[in-house]
Amino acid sequence: MSENGFSLPLIHNTVGIMTPFLLAATGGLFTELTGMLNIALEGLMLIGAFFSVVFAAATGSLFLGILLGIISSMLVALLFGSISLYLKANIFISGLATNLLAAGLTVVLSFQLFGSKGVIRFENISKLPELRIPFLQKVPLLGDLLIGHNILVYLSWLCIILAAVVIYRTPFGLRIRGTGLSSPTITSLGLSPTGYRLKAILISGFTCGLAGAVLTLNLGAFVPNITSGRGWIALVVIYLGNKTPLGIVIASFVFGFAESISNYAQGAINIPADFILAFPYMITVSAMILYSVWRHYREYGK
Amino acid sequence: MVRKKLSSVFINSVGLIITLGIAFLIAIFLIFVLSSTPARTIYYFFIGPFTNKYYFGNMLNTAVPLVFTGLGIAIAFKSSIFNLGGEGQVYSGALIATVVCLSLPNANGYLGGALALISGLIAGSVLAGLSGFFKMKWGTNELISSFLISGAVVLIVNYFITGPLDDPGNSLLTTCAIAEQYHLLKIFPPSKLNISTFFGILSAGLVFFLMFYTHWGYEMRMCGLNREFSRYGGINVSTYLVMPMALSGALHGLAGGISILGTYHMCVKEFSFGMGWNGIAVALIAKNHPLGVIPAAIFFAYLDAGAKAAMLHSDVTFEIAAIVQSIIFYLVTAQAIYSFIKFRKRAPA
Repeated sequence: MSENGFSLPLIHNTVGIMTPFLLAATGGLFTELTGMLNIALEGLMLIGAFFSVVFAAATGSLFLGILLGIISSMLVALLFGSISLYLKANIFISGLATNLLAAGLTVVLSFQLFGSKGVIRFENISKLPELRIPFLQKVPLLGDLLIGHNILVYLSWLCIILAAVVIYRTPFGLRIRGTGLSSPTITSLGLSPTGYRLKAILISGFTCGLAGAVLTLNLGAFVPNITSGRGWIALVVIYLGNKTPLGIVIASFVFGFAESISNYAQGAINIPADFILAFPYMITVSAMILYSVWRHYREYGK
Repeated sequence: MVRKKLSSVFINSVGLIITLGIAFLIAIFLIFVLSSTPARTIYYFFIGPFTNKYYFGNMLNTAVPLVFTGLGIAIAFKSSIFNLGGEGQVYSGALIATVVCLSLPNANGYLGGALALISGLIAGSVLAGLSGFFKMKWGTNELISSFLISGAVVLIVNYFITGPLDDPGNSLLTTCAIAEQYHLLKIFPPSKLNISTFFGILSAGLVFFLMFYTHWGYEMRMCGLNREFSRYGGINVSTYLVMPMALSGALHGLAGGISILGTYHMCVKEFSFGMGWNGIAVALIAKNHPLGVIPAAIFFAYLDAGAKAAMLHSDVTFEIAAIVQSIIFYLVTAQAIYSFIKFRKRAPA
């Protein structure tokens, strides 16, 4: 019992904290499979975060807030996708542009609407409903860990399962993968690789919008740059997850765990806050380097 | 040959004018939407930087670090290497330069100053070089690793500025001020413009020479065009994963050091935010040409100064500049715009 007092809540938190990573990486998986490195995840998430909380406060409905947040994020994804694909812009640069646009737009709008460039609290937002199933909660261990999260957590699980089915069991998924493996083949079949890339970007807009909504609606507030690198971490999650849905779940869990440990450390140990904020970056970059070392030796022998 | 070159210059400049024109139109549109006194805001946004000597000199002074970061990015992009860690490299260069100055309060101004700048340069170079090294050794994606390393470094520098190095004498989030003899000579009082302007012009010349008139520059550009082909041509391609990155970082570190010695005289928390990203924009507008970086940097400094003037004298917030900047990012890489011009130009013939 004494041990559970520490480790179970930590893992319970991890399951909640990993959700934005998982969602952003789910959408990013589609773009990655079509052969694009989508660095706009960060910006799309920020757009989703801002608009979902603003619309939730304005309409008084969480559902509408999330929906409009997702739509905003998909609109920006559409802009990003059309410029990258149809105007043939360099995708890294247009990705950077998207991140900048998101950072600028959210601050300008929050200054314009609320007169503040800082944290904006929304008092009238109801909390995200949590899933409580009394008899399942009694199941030892699993009940503690998996039950009692907010509904978006379960929605993220649904998304990744759906993504796995779509990617591996539908013609659409096959063509998405085909676009990344060999776009000339797709063209020779009379299909448009550009079309599949745009759809992949829109899917990433959808999941990133949802991921952003998780961040702000949990808090009931918007903090400038609330995503703080999570979109980038999601990119690394896709790599570490070996570009498979299951791998992404595991990798998100690892990063969620790292973040919940650093949250825990913030309260328990006397470390400067800046170091704790830097911790996720350091973990991510080390994980990424270790992964590439592992891959390197697996591919080229010793 | 000359004609072909001229026509490509023509296409590039027309494309650039269209891009910047659209960006400015969007800026005007945003101001009309956001500001309650649009005429006043537009006046300060566009004319503000030219209204007095102080604003004008400061605008040029803002361009100086951008010349360095722009050159850094241009070198990396010319070699097809992505350095997204500029923010952290500038910031750490600035911190290290400050620390060197603070720890030698009585040294000779020239020697100590040079030492500070070189230390800043090395700091940036090591940070960026690491990403290049990982790329060379294990194929780690340099774009993501440089960003993440920079993300961590920025926070750690923040810690040093607000923690151990914080000036107890004031309530601002800065380090102590560096000694008088390290201040770079001002050349356009009352503004902050100083002799680092000439360093910037000199560096652009040097990078131009390096890229186009030396063996290294040639090999770097070849690797940028086609790394596999260069490998078959006998170029040691792995060197050119690390070298452009380290050079790029060095120029970023120098940008940080110059800002401290020339402008701020102390390391202010988050003072360099945006310099790294703006460097990317500058390099893109200059089409990665070292000499084009100077006008591009001045243009960006103008945008920055305009947004600041508009913020001071009107009711809009500075981040409008970020939106305009993102539009420029979008359009400047949109190849289709340029090929459209090319197409139109050929059509009548």
